[in-house]
Amino acid sequence: MSTRLRIFMTGVGGQGTLTATTLLARAALAAGLPVTSGEIHGMAQRGGVVESTLLIGCKSPKIGPGEADILLGFEPLETLRALPYLKPGGVVLSSSETMPPPSVATGKESAPTVDDIRAKVTARCGRSCFMPVRSLGVQAGAVQSGNIAMLGALCAMGALPFGRDVLAKTISATMKPKVAEINLKALDLGAACLA
Amino acid sequence: MASPLLSGAPGETHLFLGNEAIVRGAIEAGIQFVTCYPGTPSSEVPDTFYRLSPGGSYTFEYSTNEKVALEVAGGATLAGALCLTTMKHVGVNVAADPLLTLTYTGAPGGLVLLSADDPGCHSSQNEQDNRIYARLAGLPCFEPSSAQEAKDMTRAALATSREVGHPALLRTTTRVNHLRGPVTLAEPTVLPKPAGFQKNPSRFVPIPAFSRPMHLRQLERIEQLRELAEKSPFNVVSGGGEVGVVASGIGRAYLSDALDEMGLVGKVKVLDLGFTYPLPEKLITGFMTGLKTLLVVEELEPVLETEIRALAQKLGLTLNILGKTPGPLPRNDEYDTAMVAAALRQVLGLPEPEATCACGTDPVVKLPNRPPNLCAGCPHRAAYAAVRKIFGDSAVYSSDIGCYTLGILPPLKAADFLICMGSSISAGCGAAKAAGQTVVGFIGDSTFFHSGMTGLVNAVYNQHEILVVILDNRTTAMTGHQPNPGVDKTILGDNESKVDIEAVVRGIGVTQVRKVNPLNQKATLKAIEELKDLSGVRVLIAEEPCPLFARRTLGKKRVQVAYVDGDCASAAADGSCGDCLNTLACPAFLVENGRMAIDPLLCSGCMLCLQFCKNIKARKGDAK
Repeated sequence: MSTRLRIFMTGVGGQGTLTATTLLARAALAAGLPVTSGEIHGMAQRGGVVESTLLIGCKSPKIGPGEADILLGFEPLETLRALPYLKPGGVVLSSSETMPPPSVATGKESAPTVDDIRAKVTARCGRSCFMPVRSLGVQAGAVQSGNIAMLGALCAMGALPFGRDVLAKTISATMKPKVAEINLKALDLGAACLA
Repeated sequence: MASPLLSGAPGETHLFLGNEAIVRGAIEAGIQFVTCYPGTPSSEVPDTFYRLSPGGSYTFEYSTNEKVALEVAGGATLAGALCLTTMKHVGVNVAADPLLTLTYTGAPGGLVLLSADDPGCHSSQNEQDNRIYARLAGLPCFEPSSAQEAKDMTRAALATSREVGHPALLRTTTRVNHLRGPVTLAEPTVLPKPAGFQKNPSRFVPIPAFSRPMHLRQLERIEQLRELAEKSPFNVVSGGGEVGVVASGIGRAYLSDALDEMGLVGKVKVLDLGFTYPLPEKLITGFMTGLKTLLVVEELEPVLETEIRALAQKLGLTLNILGKTPGPLPRNDEYDTAMVAAALRQVLGLPEPEATCACGTDPVVKLPNRPPNLCAGCPHRAAYAAVRKIFGDSAVYSSDIGCYTLGILPPLKAADFLICMGSSISAGCGAAKAAGQTVVGFIGDSTFFHSGMTGLVNAVYNQHEILVVILDNRTTAMTGHQPNPGVDKTILGDNESKVDIEAVVRGIGVTQVRKVNPLNQKATLKAIEELKDLSGVRVLIAEEPCPLFARRTLGKKRVQVAYVDGDCASAAADGSCGDCLNTLACPAFLVENGRMAIDPLLCSGCMLCLQFCKNIKARKGDAK
């Protein structure tokens, strides 16, 4: 039996969920790991939920309920929505900054608060970290780089079978120098969240 | 940076999207001619070919619909070119007419049809199983399950098609199109230039006297292809024991992971089928012999299951064949590893494990949904708001396929029924005539060129009563901003052969035509009022570029943003004002401390809401 790792990622269309997924997949490949990732395009992109997966040591690109070792939620409500994918004792990293769906933003429906979400998630996973992903992105130099900050935290947790250096090298090799610089900064800001 | 898809060296390994791997496979096969109609989940294949076309040695076109795409490629293969035509599964219905005769004429240069099926309806109106087209038309069928196989099978399908002179089907599913995985490259084949069409009427003109022998020759080619399937490297037997599993498509990935996780690798006999039709009967006969039970793992229809059961009956074998008739696997939706594992446990008589997930038995409470929505600044919202203001619920809204189908959501509620591409006009005519109801049909620019035009000709000729609103956002928005005949500009430059929608509409014979920018509500309302009072076929062209396309491709900058005047009490969300919060439902709107506000980051600067409420004002915005 090979070593398997399943990461479920979720966010809102336009947040850069797929960019983070591809970066992680490239890093895994650079680390010599058998990687498959999956994403759903199309209707999901018009402000809807975007879900993606990254699997190491698997042939399937899909993660079923209770199968994810790690859940990365780029928006807290979506973290909670995706919680059934997490296996018992799994790791959760989530943004603590909400992007309310229109029905909530316009006061037609209510959503749980970030504190509610944090309490629910913490009670149900092995380890979790909530971080201000958008703010970290802005601090690094571009709001979208917040997702990379979350990957930095994931690395620092030791939850990945490769370290910061592989991720940093992949960023430098695949992005324009200016963008890479911002994302490398985000990587470290994310790692610092765990301290 | 040169793309590894075009210039990657043999032996290099790259991470490719399934659809990019298909492009690389075609390039390795020496592809000469690519046609398509975009549609999720196939779109990245043609979009990648298009983006790379300045450096590629192939002809590429976005055709006006799938039938046209396959016919253009059909002509090209008859003239000796190696061709690929791509579409989503429902597009094959549109292309079915040429498809079922191209397997009679054959494909001298080689021709592969990519059908991207969508089990689970991620972005489609149905989950039809196009492996059945392989049977109906007589097409060899290849079904990859990984990025590497997507590349290798595309190449093999093209090579096989050219070798046998017969079209082939590359059948993928959403998960395969949109997975990413490592792909190791191989040396591309260099083909001679197309030889040109060689006249031979008895071979290429299916008049009845010629069709009958053509059909016989087609059946001979199918047997020739069956022999290739028998020894295909994509059809592999492994493991052993008295229980066997035949798996195809992405089901093979789920089976492999399930066996691995259950510690059953080698203990169950497995037949991986990648070249799935014509059915390799000798291979399957050998595989079945000695088995007591056989499980067939294939998403959607029980195609292999039925054929294998028929083969077993022919052979007089009494093994128990299971799949989805009656079970244990379903005939709808996608599979996953856990589902295949559960089926294996049932077949092997293994105990069910306790269901485990972090939530335990405590499901997540009901959360507010986040449905896809028309973007901030989408001109469709403006057109719908105007039509709804005039017709309300008194008209039946016949919708079509594109972003604008999202107008189904309240408060716009501008999609009452929908059948298929182009049906807004034709089905709208039928709905109006049956009982005399008022019908407004909505159709996008690309869909109008795809199959709306023929419905409009029919409407004029048969004197139907319909108001057609052509939502012309100057691009094919939903599938990723592909060009269509009407666009001004593409990622590669100006459209030099523009087809003007208004000229087409007038040329068809529609005399009552208005053209407006829907972001100008006053002019739009006036035009709709005028058309409402007229009878017969009336067309409103609502033209304004998709804001995402305008920003990315046309280079349009946002100059101002809308804001709610802070002193305005009537901006409260209590329904006491003009109520644009509830009539427009722009995603940039929000309620803060009981008052409506507009998120300056999300506002696109379309200024539609200003026309609804005097309390919404414009200010200079940062370029976005």
